[in-house]
Amino acid sequence: MSGWTIISLGSRFRGDDGVGPYVLDRLRGRFAGRVPLVENGGDMPRLLQDWSGRWVCLVDAVIAEGHAVGDIIRLDGLVEAVAPSPCTTSSHGLNLAEALEMGKVVGALPARLEIFAVCGADFTTGTALSRAVKSAAASVEMEILELLATPHGGPECTNTP
Amino acid sequence: MGKSKTIKVDYLARVEGEGALYIRYDDSGVHDVKLKIFEPPRFFEGFMRGRDYREAPDITARICGICPVAYQMSALHAMEDALGLAPTPELRALRRLIYCGEWIESHVLHIYMLHAPDFLGYDSAVAMARDHPNIVQDGLEIKKAGNSIVRLLGGREIHPINVRVGGFYRVPDPGELGKLRETLERAQEMAADMVRWAASLSFPRFERAGEETYEFVALSHPDEYPMNEGRVVSNKGLDIAVHEYEQHFQEEHVPYSNALQCVLKERGAYFVGPMARYNLNFDRLSPRVKQLAGEIGFPRFCGNPFQSIVVRSLEVLYAFDEALRLIDSYQQPSEAYLEAEPYASRGCAATEAPRGLLYHRYGIDEAGKITDARIVPPTSQNQKTIEEDLRLLLPQYLRLPEAQLQGLCEQAIRNYDPCISCSTHFLQLHLEQGRGALQ
Repeated sequence: MSGWTIISLGSRFRGDDGVGPYVLDRLRGRFAGRVPLVENGGDMPRLLQDWSGRWVCLVDAVIAEGHAVGDIIRLDGLVEAVAPSPCTTSSHGLNLAEALEMGKVVGALPARLEIFAVCGADFTTGTALSRAVKSAAASVEMEILELLATPHGGPECTNTP
Repeated sequence: MGKSKTIKVDYLARVEGEGALYIRYDDSGVHDVKLKIFEPPRFFEGFMRGRDYREAPDITARICGICPVAYQMSALHAMEDALGLAPTPELRALRRLIYCGEWIESHVLHIYMLHAPDFLGYDSAVAMARDHPNIVQDGLEIKKAGNSIVRLLGGREIHPINVRVGGFYRVPDPGELGKLRETLERAQEMAADMVRWAASLSFPRFERAGEETYEFVALSHPDEYPMNEGRVVSNKGLDIAVHEYEQHFQEEHVPYSNALQCVLKERGAYFVGPMARYNLNFDRLSPRVKQLAGEIGFPRFCGNPFQSIVVRSLEVLYAFDEALRLIDSYQQPSEAYLEAEPYASRGCAATEAPRGLLYHRYGIDEAGKITDARIVPPTSQNQKTIEEDLRLLLPQYLRLPEAQLQGLCEQAIRNYDPCISCSTHFLQLHLEQGRGALQ
């Protein structure tokens, strides 16, 4: 597990946007300090420092057309295109797609990037996670635990020659 | 009269938080300027009521992810003012050290990621990085050194958790500071190069004259460049104790903004932040910073806000010089914090956040519960000045194509590194006995 870092994006004060920090809270007790857990509220330059060269699970909330609230979109962040954030501004003028692009340019990409994007609906300040997103968070937690439990990240291969 | 035109920027980019810009102008001049802050109000002052006084630093730190230390410092100094606590010189030095870390983090972020693309002709930091990756790499490296200060003293880089009313929960041992020293020394040289690079940029010409000249407002301390303490002074004769702040300054509501605008009573707009600190406290900068300012031909008094990028870079270098001085003279405090028994009282404080003066005032009851709170962040104080800058700037550049003119206006806003999340914390609360009404 030692090479992994779990990073959350989003604000715990903005409804479904808080799914990343919520998953981090749930994982905190499981890892007892053995895996770095980084709550990032939108500081993309810091993201470059936190993920550079590491194996990373990143949990974020998204709005995605054609998906229901609570759907989990799984992406290999180094291979698949990451859509620009639905938010037109971020704390530091960079969204995740731009952070990836910036990471490429300055040589600060993670070695592996598993993105868990949870589809949300209500991002109003002061509201709680919706029921569907909360349920999805539990699934993301289990998937991350499974991913990290195997030496190379992923279910054990059972295909014997 | 020419046809009326408007500049509308629905979402300001490369500023912290959510804001917009509206300008109506024609050939005869600028008729309307509105810096619209539509980020929702966040009610921090309201929900602190009834909380324990010791919680104020950590609650207010959540107002901003970029300058949490500033909120912690103003809150704890205000609480200590209320309780008659005076931190020991050793604790005071550690507070100054963590503030150095935050200045470095915040200023470097703004210089390289938010402001530099304006000067080099790019829409974004990513676009700039494609052609100038070394600029961004340098910025990330210098910022990392600031992070390391905040991480050591604050327990973590963002929203640090180790400061408290009376001192710190834990203070570092000299060995930990020794390791930090090595990191800072490496980055200090890069910071000096950053100053030279910032000074080499081309700056739009913009100086105010006559009655329009700025009133710069900052803390001033007789012995040091201001961070945590000092009198509130200006270049136009203001010289008051922090306790007198509310007698001289007032916040006003404007219908198009969720942030209050602060003005000097009977005088109007004023200017806080790095340029104000620099212009009012040049003599208290480190010898190396003063020497470098001379080397690049930068004046002791700067009136062009487009050159704020140079001032920020000089303050970054100062923060490294000061951090190293504090580390070299470090005496580990015998106690990590001073204890206090609460009693019904009031207290206030102002410190210098990266973006400028940050005022906090609290009332607490005999049990130490917060009865009322008031916070005036730097961006609220600069909003009116930003609008005035735009009103005065535009007529000088009307010959520019509209897209370029809009870009210049956005750059003029970014001169102030506005933090909109900070500015929308406010609450107007009207309670009627017997039937509470929140408006």
